Amino acid sequence: MFKDLNPILHSQLRLAVVSLLITVKEAEFTYLREKTSATAGNLSVQINKLKEAGYIDVAKSFKDNYPRTVCKITPLGVQAFEEYVKDLQAYLNIKK
Amino acid sequence: MMEQEKELTKEQSLELITSMINKAKNDIFITGLSALLWGSVVIICSLVTYANYYLNWNILAYIWWLTAIAVVPQIVISIRESKEKKFKAREDDLYGGIWISYAIAIFLFSYLAAAHPIEQVAAIYLTLYGIPTFATGYGRRFKPMLIGGIACWVFAVLSLYTPYPYIMFLLAAGGLLAWFIPGLILRNRYLKAKRQNV
Repeated sequence: MFKDLNPILHSQLRLAVVSLLITVKEAEFTYLREKTSATAGNLSVQINKLKEAGYIDVAKSFKDNYPRTVCKITPLGVQAFEEYVKDLQAYLNIKK
Repeated sequence: MMEQEKELTKEQSLELITSMINKAKNDIFITGLSALLWGSVVIICSLVTYANYYLNWNILAYIWWLTAIAVVPQIVISIRESKEKKFKAREDDLYGGIWISYAIAIFLFSYLAAAHPIEQVAAIYLTLYGIPTFATGYGRRFKPMLIGGIACWVFAVLSLYTPYPYIMFLLAAGGLLAWFIPGLILRNRYLKAKRQNV
């Protein structure tokens, strides 16, 4: 019996953001925008959804008088991502 | 451009994960300036020391103090790099720790060597140069530094059989291979990546 894929992660932009954040320790909003080629508005909405789910931490500050947003994956986010990948592997019948 | 609610197939999800992880993994932010700075300092100090063997100018005997002065531009470089950096890689702290412990070891050793003169001091310096260089080259899979680190250790052995002042050529070659050449390569990569992002 297959489990349903996590709907928070099973979205193109959110999955891209979490995949990037799982690789780096932390990343600025501008970095995520560059790598995903998403618009600032879209990215902002999806980051908020991930934050509400408790998958990422978002810290806002100022750097040289400009606002700076830094995102970091949480332990819950890591766990959700690992489960999502496991479920994907089960669907695709990939053996480790 | 990525759309937020696009329906993904399972295969597309897996492809997306792989491509994003690879993008982030290959994204190393190194400007190359620190390597160029320390490579230049070691080369200059070694060659000046060699020349001073024949010139015998008192002032040039203090040339190695340049390594202490170079800490100032290094701090400026580090601050500017951290401001420019848009992400922090997981291994950044590890490499930072390796280079900081190296810096402490080299300054501590310089103090000890000044207080209690040690023979074959160049061999110890070259061995120390090789440690963080090899570790960085090995960890980041960056061949020029890997080769530079090994070269320093080979020069350390050679220095045991090389008379003064020619030993200074080995120190200069260590600085050139471990830091200056890798620094040039990293600088070119950084500038190329910067041009592509403009």
